[in-house]
Amino acid sequence: MTAFTLAFDEADPADVDRLGGKGSGLARMTRQGLRVPAGYVIGTDACRAYLGTRTLPDGLADEVLARLAALEARTGKTFGGGPVPLLLSVRSGAPVSMPGMMDTILNLGLDRTAAVALAEATGDSRFVADVVARFHAMYAETVLGALDPGAGIGDLVADVGPRDDAGAVYDRVWAACEAALADDTGDSVPADPRAQLVGAVEAVFRSWNTRRARTYRDFHKIPHDLGTAVVVQAMVFGNLSDDSGSGVVFTRNPVTGEPGLFGEYLAHSQGEDVVAGTRTPDPVTEALAPDLLAELRATCSELERAQGDVLDIEFTVERSTLYLLQVRSAKRTPEAAVRIAADIVAEGLTTPATALRGVSVEQVRQVQRPGFADTDVERARSAGRLLTTGIGACPGQVSGVLVLDPDRAGERAAGGEDVVLARTVTSPADLHGMIAAQGIVTATGGSTSHAAVVARALGTACVVGAGALRVDEAARTLEVDGRRLHEGDDVSLDGSTGELFAGRFAVSTPAAATGALGDLLGIAAAAGAGEVLARVTLPADVDAAREAGAAGLVTAIDDVLVATGHLDGLVAHLLADGGVEALDGVADLVAQEFAPVLAAAGDVEVGVRAIDLVADEARELLQQTAVTTRHPELTVPLGRPALVEAQLRGLERAVEKAGGAPRVHLAVRHVSDAAEATALRELGRGAAVGVGAYVTGPRAAFAAEAIAAAADVLWVEVRTLQAAVFGIPARHLLTAEPLDGYVRRGLLSCDPRTTLDPAVADLLVRVAAAQEAGCRVGMRLSGQVSEEMVAQLHGLGFRRFAVDAAEVRPLLLALGKAALQ
Amino acid sequence: MTALASDKTDYDVLNTVALKKMATPQVVAEACGLPRTEVEAALDRLAAQGLLVVAGGAALPTDEAEPALAAAAARRYGAVRADAEVGGLVERFETVNSQFLTTMSSWQQVDVGGRKVANDHSDAEYDDKVIARLDKLIARLGPLLEALAGHDARFGTYPARFRSALERIDRGEHEYVSSPTLDSVHNVWFEFHEDLLRTLGRERTE
Repeated sequence: MTAFTLAFDEADPADVDRLGGKGSGLARMTRQGLRVPAGYVIGTDACRAYLGTRTLPDGLADEVLARLAALEARTGKTFGGGPVPLLLSVRSGAPVSMPGMMDTILNLGLDRTAAVALAEATGDSRFVADVVARFHAMYAETVLGALDPGAGIGDLVADVGPRDDAGAVYDRVWAACEAALADDTGDSVPADPRAQLVGAVEAVFRSWNTRRARTYRDFHKIPHDLGTAVVVQAMVFGNLSDDSGSGVVFTRNPVTGEPGLFGEYLAHSQGEDVVAGTRTPDPVTEALAPDLLAELRATCSELERAQGDVLDIEFTVERSTLYLLQVRSAKRTPEAAVRIAADIVAEGLTTPATALRGVSVEQVRQVQRPGFADTDVERARSAGRLLTTGIGACPGQVSGVLVLDPDRAGERAAGGEDVVLARTVTSPADLHGMIAAQGIVTATGGSTSHAAVVARALGTACVVGAGALRVDEAARTLEVDGRRLHEGDDVSLDGSTGELFAGRFAVSTPAAATGALGDLLGIAAAAGAGEVLARVTLPADVDAAREAGAAGLVTAIDDVLVATGHLDGLVAHLLADGGVEALDGVADLVAQEFAPVLAAAGDVEVGVRAIDLVADEARELLQQTAVTTRHPELTVPLGRPALVEAQLRGLERAVEKAGGAPRVHLAVRHVSDAAEATALRELGRGAAVGVGAYVTGPRAAFAAEAIAAAADVLWVEVRTLQAAVFGIPARHLLTAEPLDGYVRRGLLSCDPRTTLDPAVADLLVRVAAAQEAGCRVGMRLSGQVSEEMVAQLHGLGFRRFAVDAAEVRPLLLALGKAALQ
Repeated sequence: MTALASDKTDYDVLNTVALKKMATPQVVAEACGLPRTEVEAALDRLAAQGLLVVAGGAALPTDEAEPALAAAAARRYGAVRADAEVGGLVERFETVNSQFLTTMSSWQQVDVGGRKVANDHSDAEYDDKVIARLDKLIARLGPLLEALAGHDARFGTYPARFRSALERIDRGEHEYVSSPTLDSVHNVWFEFHEDLLRTLGRERTE
């Protein structure tokens, strides 16, 4: 006889091809000695046979029934009978998870006899009515394709009393369900449990070829002939007695990451009662009997140890026996993800590599996202600055100017202001204003309203349903409980608590970013991932960059002078004609403004980029056209050596003023020739400041070894280099469009914002060779770092990086992951 | 205004521009199911009436557009508003709409120990359930869209837009679920909802 089926305890968990993902998981749990309700798997070979002939293969029905008898013996329950009926769950389980496959059918096996027996066993006819209706709806929907089954049945079920005659209840509910289904599809759910089972198995097989599943397989190049397995499992009841119940437990707190069981348990209940919220569950640590709690604790810690991760476990207790229904990796907040990863390494539960893999750079960004200080918020509340509290729709704490119209929000944001957009209600026509705003607040709507959905898609802090707000668009005022604000007034909002405040708050890095995250990044750093320099402009930026873990700093002469209010002076000096003395002014400005930055830097390395007049970013700011029309020599790196000299002199004086401790170098952009590098070396001869080059184009990367031979440091601007190789303006590598749409159309095989192009990688192999000669070679990244690109760069042998200060932590994580890959 | 009430092309084009707030002739043509030349001619007529402006290749509605559309809709859609079948289906749509919004939220956020956190889309099974639900909810719009298309063919363009978004989603382009800047399921749904409300002369509540 062909054996199509395997009981969980007979199956080899490694045989995923035959058992499917779910079946293999259940076999593994059974083998580990975990108590899961008994069951068996119909292998994918049966599905393949079915797909060929469109009928169940010979012998399968007999085998399924034989397995049923074994399940009855094992559980002491009877399929389609009493005293306790055996009910089944039937699920699809393909070797590869894919959309469109059949959902679970629960409570299969109910006929009149079984329903009456179940009512006697649970003492609850209402429960039986509910199970009957639920099963009918599930079967109608998943097997027969009904659209909206069970509508209107809810009232009928609610009218059933716990002590009503179960046979009559079954007849009433079943007839009503059947009538509704006949109206909808003209179909009928078989009343015979065995016919139900066979029907469900066939439906699983058929679901292999749904439109969605086929589309998915086509797109992901998954063969169409794998087939799916079917998992048939006995159901257990949490509502048989007072020593039964059901619950959900996390092995650690998924909100904070704190160790210790976290979850809920409801005695004398099925899982659905907890989900439906009809009864309030109790904390699992208080409600579960001591011996069961001890067993659950032991199981949880065993599972955590085996899987090296925090788990979310659904369980049922049937007459004091604990069954695990589902074990999954737990969803968690970013704060919890970071703390858990740090803790499980410290506890020796897992390797640093596995722990780091469990955290994404995006989670790190969220944990370090600046927010209000708790004390400031408390003070604002007691000072009466809290205007109103709505519903928090998308987390984030922001301050900005109040604007009541999306067009004006766009205008003010374009002018550089942080905007909080307040509307009575938002519509798709408000989108441009919502994109421009830092925060959004609406008077109407719940957490599923248009404003909430769009805000979350944009990641913009948002409060909805602040019902006390009265927006007067004509008068441009916002009234809240008798207080009136005008457009342009400062407001602050908290997208978690839903609070809207008058006035502004200072924002700072939250404590979580320095606590557990610091530990985690310490693990990453210990992996020998490399050093990270952070971009700063003002002395005040330095501490935050060091605290984030930066080993050094990078900055730029033009950035610092513009930020300290010397833009006009700088442009005037550049426009002026004349010799070396004309540039003394530049040296003076550099000496004056860099001293404080260098003093704050202390003894760390500071890389300074020289003034660059051809940079995309500087085009308007530095009046590029005016300056380079008069002095075309300024468009080549060493066209005016005196300008480089002036910057070197200025930096030397700044170092002196700052106490002489910092290790400073000046690097010039767009150098592409060894002769340029040699000329630069000559200019810097004898200076206390080192010299270096920024590689921005393919020619420079190609010549990196020769350039490096004459330089103290070499930086590669990865984005600029990629853009040059692609022939796309570098600024487009920092924005969503045009590349989002272009990549989506399949016109670029590599997204230059997240992935190193093979052509660039080839060039970087030449750059990596330059490291061996002793030159300090670093990768300058801009914008948000991409884990993929960092791993590629690490793989090429680069260990020195510079990024925007906010990206230091994400980069350290990405480097740690790459190092431990 | 009378032109808007009597000329279907003009109404459809201005309606689309008002829904999108800013749209190129190509986008309007796709959304209305009209040839591009007709759309361009309509944009010129509407611009001449001061109902929209064309800037940088895209049409934007003026402040006059909404009231003009509302007035025109009142005249054009008397029969739709009086249609009892449509009325019944719209009642049911309210339920489907709130289910849709809840489903959209569950795409973006997951519940973690009672706190909502952003869905990081690492759980393919969870995501698939949400998509399957969206698929069904869109199917439930069918009868309403059909009934409306019986009055005005414009409503016949929505099913194709939903289908195209769903196909992309099934190919793994999940941004077509809720991205506000693409013709995503969420955007098509919202444009339809706005269109429906204008047709019926109702206000949106959230």
